[in-house]
Amino acid sequence: MASDIPVHAKERLKGLRSSAHSTGVFTSDFSVNEFLLVRKAGFEPIGLCVGTCVYHVGIQYGAWSKNQELDVLSKAMYHARELAMSRMRAEATAMGADGIVGVKLTIKRLEWDEHLLEFIAIGTGVVHGDGQKGFRAHDGGPFTSDLSGQDFWSLLHSGYRPVEMVMGSCVYHVAHRGMLSGFSNIGRNVELENFTSAMYEAREVAIERMQFEAAAAKAEGVVGVDIHEGSYGWHTHVIEFFAIGTAVLPLGEEIAPDKIADPIMVLSVND
Amino acid sequence: MGLFDFLKGPSPEQLARRAEAERRRADILNALAQGVVPNGVRTRLEGARNRTLPWTATLTPAELLIARSHGLKPIAAVAASCWLHYGWSWTEGHAEGWGMALRRLRDEAIAAGANAVLDVKMRTIPLRIDTSMDYTLIGTAVYVEGLPPSKEPIVATVPALEFVRLLEADVVPTGIAIGAHYEWLMPGTWGSDPNMRWMGNIESRQFSDLWNTVRDRAHQQLRVHARSQGNGVLAHLNFSQMFEDEDPNNRERKRYLARHIVVATTVDAKRGVPLSHGITPVVDIHAGATPLKPAGRHHESYSNESEGAI
Repeated sequence: MASDIPVHAKERLKGLRSSAHSTGVFTSDFSVNEFLLVRKAGFEPIGLCVGTCVYHVGIQYGAWSKNQELDVLSKAMYHARELAMSRMRAEATAMGADGIVGVKLTIKRLEWDEHLLEFIAIGTGVVHGDGQKGFRAHDGGPFTSDLSGQDFWSLLHSGYRPVEMVMGSCVYHVAHRGMLSGFSNIGRNVELENFTSAMYEAREVAIERMQFEAAAAKAEGVVGVDIHEGSYGWHTHVIEFFAIGTAVLPLGEEIAPDKIADPIMVLSVND
Repeated sequence: MGLFDFLKGPSPEQLARRAEAERRRADILNALAQGVVPNGVRTRLEGARNRTLPWTATLTPAELLIARSHGLKPIAAVAASCWLHYGWSWTEGHAEGWGMALRRLRDEAIAAGANAVLDVKMRTIPLRIDTSMDYTLIGTAVYVEGLPPSKEPIVATVPALEFVRLLEADVVPTGIAIGAHYEWLMPGTWGSDPNMRWMGNIESRQFSDLWNTVRDRAHQQLRVHARSQGNGVLAHLNFSQMFEDEDPNNRERKRYLARHIVVATTVDAKRGVPLSHGITPVVDIHAGATPLKPAGRHHESYSNESEGAI
């Protein structure tokens, strides 16, 4: 992947990496607090890393009255995100980053073609101040994480380090059912078990896939898991279940609870 | 992928995947009918509990920090759904739907060998299908180091930070209580139109009474439901709507529907014991909204949109 980076982009990245020199400039989308906390955690930002992928999502129809995963769409969502992420990571590798924090992964629809989706991954590449390489992912490349600067600091202080942003996707077609209105006369509400089971299956598949990615990254756990549903201009009964989080590993050795400093409880007296 | 792939028959790999999907579907449907946790979910939860699989948590790192410093360990993200057709009663459907989801969530927590489920969020899947709605709860099952698994894990609809804060104050969040009530108002004949045709100031007693009754009953129900789980509730959300409709038996006449739903977090709290809590008051110089206050809503199931029958 690294070889795909255009020459002028490489030049720009080299300039960023020399941030220790007076000629270098670092770029980041950190807020002031984030910047201070990332530095407090022993890291220096070196540059924004971006990965983009415009993807033509194939066409697949679910059988009208059947619950089923639409694997063509699942694969497309997965593959496109993967491409955007790996491009971002390649930029980070090229600038010598140990990791990327604050990764935002967004999907946009292109107005003129309903099958084209734009996937964008953007985050700030950071290096460890003392040149410690122990923070890199299991493959020796930069770690990735959607944690903010504040979260990054908190994670390190709870005895863990981020390894990889892991995700699982399942695009699902929920079966149609006729005659729903007939239920209104039977004197009670009824559970539509068919739909319930569709939710269970789609969500389970998404979580399992995310967990599988975490296991492949040799992580101990996944923090900040978000499970959400989205529809990207698909048919009304089609929905994507998406699970995402940051896979983590203990720092050297897991810190015992009593060794973790108790946070101080504060009460904001601002209105 | 070739252009004419759809003309080929399925590959053995595809067939195996389909068979696997069929098995999973049958397992889930069977589990729902039996009222137990699906085998697939059980395997995932047990794997996370005995650490053969990575643990998963919806907690943020700050929440993980405070959870760890208090001896809580995450097991897995757990979720439960109930998709209900409320052809009979929309209002009562909410109590039923959340109640069922809550029961299923507890079952998953038991299967995970958990002591509690934290950070439970109420969700509705944004698929509009006729007069039906989905009730989903998502949270993180945790265990307390040194404690055996609970037979009745607590379900806390508060984020982990607040959970710990409550525990330190000797308050245990225990679950969710729901109260829901609706009532029709059918004005009689001449002179009793609840909409005032009068030009002066006057209370519309009929509407006032309607709302008083509906809200009273909903809160009464909340108290009854809460009593089965704890000795108090922390108010969570209130939702009410009113509609004007034609009387199906007499098109000339209008009828009115008022409905009210209350959902709250139940707690078990020692009463009358003074709190010893080392809180430091601070002035936050952060520009804009203070990060010390939680911003996001903990549910996304109720808006002011009107929908459905009753």
